[in-house]
Amino acid sequence: MTFHIIVCIKSVVTGAPSGVVKRSPQNSQLNPFDWPALEAALQMKEYNKGSVTAITMGPAISGEALAEAMAMGVDRGILISDPALKGSDTLVTSRVLAAAVKRIGKFDLLFFGTRTSDSDTGQVGPQTATLLEVPFISGVKQFEGQVGDWTVERGMDEWEETWRLSSPWSASINQHAYAPRSIGLDSLSEVFDRINIEEWSLTDLDLATEDVGLAGSPTRVVALKKLRRDRNCIMLEGDAQVQMEELITHLNKAGVLA
Amino acid sequence: MTEPFLTAKHRILRRSVRSFCDRELSPIAAQIDQEARFPWEVIEKMGPLKYFGIQASRELGGAALDSLSYAIIIEEVSRISAAIGLCLSVHNSVAVFPIMAFGTAEQQQRWVSELARGQKIGAFCLTEPNAGSDASGISATAIQEGDHYRVNANKVFVTNGGVADICLIFARTDPAAGRKGISVVVVERGTPGFVVGDLEDLCGVRANPVSSIRLYDCCVPKENLLGQSGTGLQIGLVALDTGRIGIAAQALGIAQASMEEAIRYANQRQQFGVPLSRHQVIQMMIADMATQVDAARMMIYRAAWLKDQHQTFTKASAQAKLFAAEAAGKVTDLAVQIHGGYGYSKAYAVERYYRDARVTRIYEGTSEIHRMVIAREAQKEIMSDLHIA
Ligand SMILES: Cc1cc2nc3c(=O)[nH]c(=O)nc-3n(C[C@H](O)[C@H](O)[C@H](O)COP(=O)(O)OP(=O)(O)OC[C@H]3O[C@@H](n4cnc5c(N)ncnc54)[C@H](O)[C@@H]3O)c2cc1C
Repeated sequence: MTFHIIVCIKSVVTGAPSGVVKRSPQNSQLNPFDWPALEAALQMKEYNKGSVTAITMGPAISGEALAEAMAMGVDRGILISDPALKGSDTLVTSRVLAAAVKRIGKFDLLFFGTRTSDSDTGQVGPQTATLLEVPFISGVKQFEGQVGDWTVERGMDEWEETWRLSSPWSASINQHAYAPRSIGLDSLSEVFDRINIEEWSLTDLDLATEDVGLAGSPTRVVALKKLRRDRNCIMLEGDAQVQMEELITHLNKAGVLA
Repeated sequence: MTEPFLTAKHRILRRSVRSFCDRELSPIAAQIDQEARFPWEVIEKMGPLKYFGIQASRELGGAALDSLSYAIIIEEVSRISAAIGLCLSVHNSVAVFPIMAFGTAEQQQRWVSELARGQKIGAFCLTEPNAGSDASGISATAIQEGDHYRVNANKVFVTNGGVADICLIFARTDPAAGRKGISVVVVERGTPGFVVGDLEDLCGVRANPVSSIRLYDCCVPKENLLGQSGTGLQIGLVALDTGRIGIAAQALGIAQASMEEAIRYANQRQQFGVPLSRHQVIQMMIADMATQVDAARMMIYRAAWLKDQHQTFTKASAQAKLFAAEAAGKVTDLAVQIHGGYGYSKAYAVERYYRDARVTRIYEGTSEIHRMVIAREAQKEIMSDLHIA
């Protein structure tokens, strides 16, 4: 079997949501945190002469995120879309993605972005890996190797870990680690000449409606409130000494120095 | 809401071009304008991504995209740097396109395969000191002598002139035949007698090396004739129909950038205790800018779409170019006004946009010439309808 990487990506809502968001091409885009995951997968595909499959779960508009991934060089795009999936939380999303990965079959690496720009939970990667019972390493900065033997570096604030493991394994890719490639106009044009995004529904995944959507989700977002950040501009006057003292008074009052 | 004409391909294209330009072009756009420097470092990255072969066939190394994609690319590049938008517009639509449309398979192989990959840069040389709007007044000559042409020309205001490798030269092959004696001959840089003149010290689009090109007894093989002898003006008109979409898109990109800057500034600058954007007069300006920009965009996309549908688009593209160029003038003017004194300083981008916008009303046919084309086409349409009735 040839070397195979699966990348889970999401079409996110841009701009801060207020109330119920009506999805449109204008407010949807590929999650920026997924770019490094795609780039990492594509570099490894080129190195190990394999193929990359991208999967996404979401409304039909998510097909555009897949098309973008394919213009970057992804070979196969699978869209999991079903009205019953509406209201799914991260656990259900992970359940669905795990079912899709199982249906795809053999893979060596399974990648995720570290989080999404519109939900920011960072849960889907590790949960999916757990459901699939494959090892998961978060925030991978670099990795090398082949099928049997991999060296993987993961970065944290103050230190770095090096892991050794064998396929299959899964990871989220550090957002700064792999600068995504610019899409060539020719590859974009070619992808759209023969665009073929596979669409899977719940029945393709052997999942029942009660396992997914609001019904299957143990968690629920009950309220969404936009945080107001009040920024005030205060001009301080007088000589440096006076200004400094006044600044300290202000900072104390604001509780910053206390 | 989805925008008319656009498909998923166009949306992804816009995002990709925007992220490329934000990363590669935006940091240097002001600087290359001030230094009047052609940014080879970016051009070399655009080549492999096929920005120089937007509509050329893939066999020849191009991207084979449609005209709507072409318009979006020029719009997005010009939103960051109008000078580079100009470079791409002229290269793609009045150099590569005519060779694709009128060239033989051999000529396409010979020139387009390098042009489309950005390994060579193209130029369109029509204007002369005594022939601007009236292209039929050119005096350049290309006289056939056996198996070659002897070309003499003094071409001015050549976009990309300072860096061009492959030049489409409009010249008289039959000086006695008037309009029907004009042809297009392709002359390559390096041909003995090919001289690049000084760069123009321009008001805007300064990063584009616009120069004169002079040909002194340049001998080029007769295989360098593009299309039929005597059809030069037709080739020029067809090329300019397409070129207009590019220049219109360039104007749109400049207008879009100006509007964005003006809105940002109006929301941040405070006068009389509130942001400028809270003053009704400023809101009226923003409304006018937004309307001009949207109207221009729809006219351009329509013209490009008509072309992609293989429908007549001469009037539509002339209208789009006229409207977008005039809109860019108004919008950049308002953007400077909203910035007050700061808008008149090179410290703010709108100063550059204001200068860049001005030329869109002049090149590839002035606004006046476009009105003549539109008037002719509009009357033709109505009068032929009347005949049928
Ligand atoms: C930055 C820049 C880049 C350029 N790049 C190129 C290029 O790559 N290749 C190229 O060939 N040319 C190029 N040009 C030339 C450009 O296309 C001409 O400047 C333009 O066609 C106008 O010609 P002109 O300057 O000779 O003006 P003129 O034709 O002398 O016109 C002067 C004025 O008279 C008006 N006018 C002329 N005739 C009429 C009429 N019949 N009725 C009413 N009004 C009329 C015009 O609209 C204009 O307002 C470029 C110019 C600039 C400034």
